[in-house]
Amino acid sequence: MSAHDLVVDALVIAGVTGELLCCLGLVVARDVFDRLHFAMASTTLPPLLIAAAVIVEEDWTQPGINALLIAAVLFLVNPMVAHATARAARARRFGQVEATDAERRR
Amino acid sequence: MDVWLWGATALLVGIAPCGWIAIRASRADALVALELAGTVATLALVLLSEGFNRASYMTVPVALAFLSLVGSLLIARFLGRHL
Repeated sequence: MSAHDLVVDALVIAGVTGELLCCLGLVVARDVFDRLHFAMASTTLPPLLIAAAVIVEEDWTQPGINALLIAAVLFLVNPMVAHATARAARARRFGQVEATDAERRR
Repeated sequence: MDVWLWGATALLVGIAPCGWIAIRASRADALVALELAGTVATLALVLLSEGFNRASYMTVPVALAFLSLVGSLLIARFLGRHL
């Protein structure tokens, strides 16, 4: 096995392991806001590792650039999705998004 | 099977817990599970297109990356008010 294959295997295994840990965290967490942390963690490092593996394999060709584009989109846009989801979850739980009186007094 | 296809298989298995949460938990939790499943499916498609050595397949996860985000935003929008 060449160094090139070793690097590709290591990057893919690291990226897949990261995703599976986030799936496990989704099940273990009890609250929607805790689960949101795991769902958004899955869009940070693992996609970048998998994109790096594709670039090492394919160099800067169409698949490599597409994989990097996917990792960038997941990394940059998902915080907005997380924000919208958290607002919706608060609106459902407390009837409002802003801090409640009980939370202000705390 | 190479590392790409093994990785894609493992990721597809990772969608099962997301489905479990989407079925069992509340609607807000189900939305979070949907978002995670969208990310995992996108990356599984990247690995599959690489494992099959088909560069043209890579356009599917690119489209899914954008569309799953739009879908999640839409559901979050409705979830806060109407669902």
